Amino acid sequence: MIEVKNLGKNYGSCKAVKGVGFNVHNGEIVGLLGPNGAGKTTIMKILTGYLYPTFGTVMIDSKDVVDHANTIKAMIGYLPENSPLYTDLNVYEYLNFVADARHLVNEQRKERIQWVIDECGLKSVLYKNISELSKGFKQRAGLAQAMIHDPKILILDEPTTGLDPNQILDIRDLIKRMGKEKTTIISTHILQEVEAICNRVLILNEGEIVAQGTTEEIGKELKGEELLHLTLKVEDTGSVKQELVNCNNIEKVLVYEEQDKHRLKLKLSLKSHKDALEGIFDWTVSKGYKILAMVPEKISLEDIFIKLTREGGDNAR
Amino acid sequence: MLANILTITKKELKSYYNSPIAYIVKAVFLVFMSLWLFTVNQFIPRGIADLRIYFMMIPYVFIFFIPAITMRSWAEERKMGTEELLLTLPFKEYELVLGKFMAAFFLLVIMFCASLVLPVSLSALGDFEWGQIIAQYIGVILFGGACISVGLFVSSLSRNQIISFIFSALTLFLIIIISEVNRMIELPLVIGNFLNALSFNYHFEAFSRGLIDTRDIMYFVLVSGFFLYLNGKVLVFRKWL
Repeated sequence: MIEVKNLGKNYGSCKAVKGVGFNVHNGEIVGLLGPNGAGKTTIMKILTGYLYPTFGTVMIDSKDVVDHANTIKAMIGYLPENSPLYTDLNVYEYLNFVADARHLVNEQRKERIQWVIDECGLKSVLYKNISELSKGFKQRAGLAQAMIHDPKILILDEPTTGLDPNQILDIRDLIKRMGKEKTTIISTHILQEVEAICNRVLILNEGEIVAQGTTEEIGKELKGEELLHLTLKVEDTGSVKQELVNCNNIEKVLVYEEQDKHRLKLKLSLKSHKDALEGIFDWTVSKGYKILAMVPEKISLEDIFIKLTREGGDNAR
Repeated sequence: MLANILTITKKELKSYYNSPIAYIVKAVFLVFMSLWLFTVNQFIPRGIADLRIYFMMIPYVFIFFIPAITMRSWAEERKMGTEELLLTLPFKEYELVLGKFMAAFFLLVIMFCASLVLPVSLSALGDFEWGQIIAQYIGVILFGGACISVGLFVSSLSRNQIISFIFSALTLFLIIIISEVNRMIELPLVIGNFLNALSFNYHFEAFSRGLIDTRDIMYFVLVSGFFLYLNGKVLVFRKWL
């Protein structure tokens, strides 16, 4: 659906995006994650045809975004950062303007306008001037604008900034529902958001993609080893130490703690094959140890994010 | 295509009329022009049924009034970020530019329709030459259109309304006044003619005397087209920045 190849954008001497490449498939919800100034917004501006790339290409539906600007614009619903709106129009006038711009007519037009009003909960503010709306309603008006023509592709730049927790949940829910039939790209610097909504993540830092994949995939690639917290009940703690060394599924014992005579608390680094965890279980059974707790350590997106973006920052310095 | 242009025009007009700007500009214009005619120039005691003095003033009034109408058109869009919205909707650049032009132009036409009250109500007092008045109105509308194009172009260069206003006024001042240089100093004929050819005022003079010259019409149409074209180019050029 969307193919980005070696995309770069310079603002004068500032290199905002330095040659990124990725694909987004039909029906996927992809999150662009990164600290402020990582290039998320710039990428979105290029995808939507607001900016031309300095180098590289973006193909949407096999069409170049620069050469087929209007065809592609018609396919995309875009919510720019901070949801810019015409503050001297009221919500209804605004939606009518966008409906006109999107060439909606007659029945379909009425239907779609009604649909976004219901879906985005704009009924109570329909005839209010946009300048008088709260941040939450402004954001919703922006979303309504982006979805009014039922686009194939939704591009949402930080759709939940400035909203209160309830509104955030509402908007996420809406995006998730929409995302079922649409190809969606959202940018955010909120980690939970990506975990809550997206099928796939691109982590950006200083204009480059530093990781991409599902959160689990990125996690695995990043930590390289699998960690396991294990609590055992044994007859005698003394003999276990040697057995641990002999066990061929364990790479290294990181923590060895005798809680009392029969209870052992361990943190193990496992050998990197997929049956390692199973192997550990079989090994404890065969030795007659009882497992009290067995918790594989899950690396959180937060850890990944901090690790990737901090490291990048350190290199730059 | 036309539908797209009208969509923009409609939106622009809604914005104009939802804010006080349109009303203020019109009211001030009409009041000021009436004061100029009746108080400063003593139109009634003079007893000449000729509005030339009214229309001669208009270029100088336009220096301030046209920028007041056009200053926000692009500058405000950029400042509020709505430009991003506009440029990512399926419009072509020229449709956006023409849409905005038509809206400002419409405002101008409405303003002059309101000023028609003047000759109509005065017609009871004397014998006006209606042919001349028609020529004057045509001239003023063409002249205003060219000024609007300049104003829109300058507005597209800035994100600050005030700066946009000042530079539009300055640009208009220069284009309008440039032929006056001829009157102040002796210039070689070629340069003098060249300055005349550039000047808004020079081309407007014939209209205000009641003459409709196709060259003058062409001049204003071409100038309008030129600045609207530049305006469109600015929008495209900015995508590369």
